[in-house]
Amino acid sequence: MRRLGYLVREALTNIRLNRTTTLIAVATTAFTLACFGVFLLLYLNLRGMASSLQDDIKVIVYLHDALTAQGVTALQHQIKAEPEVASLTYVSKEQALADFHAQFPSESHLLQGLGENPLPASFVVTLVPKFRSSDAVKRWSDRLRSVPGVAQVQYSREWIENLAVVVGYLELAAVAVGTVLSAASVTIIANTIRLTLYARRDEIEIMRLIGATGAFIKTPYLLEGSVLGALGAGLALVLLKGGFEFFKQQLGEPGRFLGIEAGFGFFPDHVSFLMVLAGLVLGFLGSFVSLFGFGRVRS
Amino acid sequence: MIQLFHVSKYYDRRPALFDVTIRIEKGEFVLLMGPSGAGKTTLLKLLFCAERPDEGQILVQNRNVARIKSSQVPALRRTMGFVFQDFKLLPKKNVFENVALPLMVQGVSSFDTRRKVAEALKAVGIEHKKESRPAMLSAGEQQRVCIARAIVNGPLILLADEPTGNMDPDLAGEIMELFKTINARGTTVMIATHNRQVVEQVNRRVVTLVQGHLASDEGAGQ
Repeated sequence: MRRLGYLVREALTNIRLNRTTTLIAVATTAFTLACFGVFLLLYLNLRGMASSLQDDIKVIVYLHDALTAQGVTALQHQIKAEPEVASLTYVSKEQALADFHAQFPSESHLLQGLGENPLPASFVVTLVPKFRSSDAVKRWSDRLRSVPGVAQVQYSREWIENLAVVVGYLELAAVAVGTVLSAASVTIIANTIRLTLYARRDEIEIMRLIGATGAFIKTPYLLEGSVLGALGAGLALVLLKGGFEFFKQQLGEPGRFLGIEAGFGFFPDHVSFLMVLAGLVLGFLGSFVSLFGFGRVRS
Repeated sequence: MIQLFHVSKYYDRRPALFDVTIRIEKGEFVLLMGPSGAGKTTLLKLLFCAERPDEGQILVQNRNVARIKSSQVPALRRTMGFVFQDFKLLPKKNVFENVALPLMVQGVSSFDTRRKVAEALKAVGIEHKKESRPAMLSAGEQQRVCIARAIVNGPLILLADEPTGNMDPDLAGEIMELFKTINARGTTVMIATHNRQVVEQVNRRVVTLVQGHLASDEGAGQ
């Protein structure tokens, strides 16, 4: 216990005595992790957005004009019985026209010259959650197209598929950028610790000669690296939070971006905690790498 | 206590020590003599496991240090004390902290550390300087701190490499008297020196090395 207290004191003394180097290492680590954090924030928000859009996905099944009322009822029962379908709403030709006039009042004149109502009747289908992936929606829609009485099946496929592709790329980018920046953080901290090791090599030599074990000599440096990494990650979170709030403020009043901005959020607590933990681990690794290369520490 | 059997050590194929055989009994006081480059420091380094021999065997306290595992070296070193010509004190720690370092490494309690450090500082006569930093001390005082650190955990063997190298004859005499006192308490002492005056003053067993070879061994059993 006494030895542990001594090792922690030594680590804190190292940090205090090398204030400038510590500050530079923490700041550089913070900026590096903040860059990664931007990607992570973007990825998590877009993934959340894609998921909520997928939850909202509705399939519109347009019906042939020739379908009789009994045919509509029979088709409604048939579709409702499908395992993929959660709910179904019938929109008659008249309702479709009324909706068109309500949604596009300035374009109402477009339909005036056509005589009879050109808009088809339709079913608005909501799928059960496990069939909302773009693949599942596509499969079900393709199958439905061949059902007699169905004129056309539509859903916002392209938009959702494109978003899924963007989120996929962003995930890849986050992994790639994260790997590169993590390696950079490890290198920065490794160099900081290496500088400390060289500055204190005589002291390390003395410790070795009086019978200190490798673990006893190395522990303060591993602790120092871990503290630097955790402090860097903490500072990165502060920078990201500041940047995020500024960005939200710049977006202006709610509704300006179709209400999407209302879904934007900062990291949940557990992700923030994981980021600090990641900083700590990177710092530890940085120290470990520099100690591994510092042969004189080994007995 | 210490036995070397046909020990050789080479640096760049040149022998720093060649076919050296010595036996040192428990409680002996041995002066290791020879000019610069004779192999004195190399021999001490071999005993301290800072180097490994290329040929021969070395027994220290019945342990073959030529074949000792790296993980066992710290434990062996804790049974020895080492005094350096350049003191090797930590400049940012005071005298008390410097002397307490070997005890800290072993996890000795605060109470025992205070007691043992006080005894060691008293033995070398600088208990009144325990709050001072090394830079505030004279060369003689710094060497006394170094000796206090070497004896604080009651080592069985005390090794010293040119401990009076930079000192005037009077100061060197005082330091050697200190080593004799420590030896009188039962610690085996081995001192490397090229100072003939020191040898005459101490009047104990003298092992002489010349160009890595054992040239003479006089006064064994004293």
